[in-house]
Amino acid sequence: MSEESHIVKSYEEELQNLHDTLIQMGALTESQLSDSLDAVIKVDKESTDKIINSDQKINKFRSKIDTQIMNLLVKRAPMAIDLRSTISALKISQDLERIGDLAKSNAKKVKPLPYDLPDELLQNLRRLGELVQKQLSEVLDSYVNKGLDKAKTVWENDERVDDLTYIAMNSVTDFLSQDKKNLDFATHLIFVTKNLERAGDHITNIAESVYYLIKGEYLKGQRPKGREIEDNV
Amino acid sequence: MKNSKVKISSNNLNVYYGNKQALFDVNLTLNEKEVTALIGPSGCGKSTFIRCINRMNDVIEICRVEGSIKMDGMNINDKGVDVVQLREKVGMVFQKPNPFPKSIYDNIAYGPTIHGVVQNKNQMDELVENCLKKAALWNEVKDRLQEPGTSLSGGQQQRLCIARAISVNPEVILMDEPCSALDPIATAKIEELIDELRKTYTIVIVTHSMAQAVRVSQRTGFFHLGKLIEIDTTEKIFKNPGNNMTQDYITGRFG
Repeated sequence: MSEESHIVKSYEEELQNLHDTLIQMGALTESQLSDSLDAVIKVDKESTDKIINSDQKINKFRSKIDTQIMNLLVKRAPMAIDLRSTISALKISQDLERIGDLAKSNAKKVKPLPYDLPDELLQNLRRLGELVQKQLSEVLDSYVNKGLDKAKTVWENDERVDDLTYIAMNSVTDFLSQDKKNLDFATHLIFVTKNLERAGDHITNIAESVYYLIKGEYLKGQRPKGREIEDNV
Repeated sequence: MKNSKVKISSNNLNVYYGNKQALFDVNLTLNEKEVTALIGPSGCGKSTFIRCINRMNDVIEICRVEGSIKMDGMNINDKGVDVVQLREKVGMVFQKPNPFPKSIYDNIAYGPTIHGVVQNKNQMDELVENCLKKAALWNEVKDRLQEPGTSLSGGQQQRLCIARAISVNPEVILMDEPCSALDPIATAKIEELIDELRKTYTIVIVTHSMAQAVRVSQRTGFFHLGKLIEIDTTEKIFKNPGNNMTQDYITGRFG
């Protein structure tokens, strides 16, 4: 990273604004993900409308970032670290927006759920959800503090997300097999589980973007993969 | 990147203007049929460097060149080297278009006449047409070849100078900020032309436009205070330069 500031102050400000907007968007996405997980685990049907509506705020951040990036590209033709910052912001904002969509999708699944879901199932979902939240928080931290090692650790830990997804998915199918009446609920919970796993994949994307931003090289090697669930949902 | 053959290499090149040292131990290679862009702040030595390649510095009395520049393995500063012949091989295009105060036709014909490249009028007509075509100027001037070169627009004059440079069939073309006096359309035409010319010639371009360096060159070298700080593929230099000074310069952070 360069210690020097740009000669053109407004350029410096534009890059800083982009950085700040992305951090705000990240913080909002974090709280959306956390609120929607809470709503699922507590089967809190009251909170879901608010979460669903908040997704628009994330989308607005995304549009704002798009505009900021277009202006930067046109006005400044950024090079080297500035180019990487700009392009990474574009990619990260896309992934955050998708994570927001997945959180919203999970919030939508809460209303049809019964209040007496098996405890073990909820615990397994919670473990998965909390890991995904932690991953998001860590990856955003690696972005803010330019933490190369942290970005790499997040990337590697996606394997654990896959493992917990596998476990959570098994509890859902157990729940389904107990009683045919559970079919509707279980279908929703399958989506919830899968959405959390997908959010994990977007977080892995963000880790790759952060790594490229800092190092100017792509993360090498195969993406880590844990136990896989059948990918037909 | 294709397999590159070295066309020109400088070894520990030091250049002095009187007591002032302009270049310090520059070791730089230019690959054949590639465009190498040289960038750096004003006074960093990039123009001095390219002026060494065709020994333009010879005309500056206080200028002293140490170290070697080899072209196809031959030291161009050797006593036996004929400067006129060297400049036949190494053409140059300047920042400001500088056509001779002659007709468009004669601007092209002048060099070949001096160097005895052609035998008769027919051959000369053919050569003039070819050079103007290669410089993407033929269609615009074919009906006015006897008009003065200076009657053309700035962009056309620059292309005329490029046509003149290639008229003696050089191997290397040096361009010192060839587009800095041109509008974006004329610049685009020159850049398009450079891309075409590199199939035949080894090109070195000094430019202050980062975007231009990215567009036209395969390799980029960054000079600062008379030293070559870094040279690498253009892609590497502009995406992820190895040296912090290069990065500070190309991102506009230079203190």
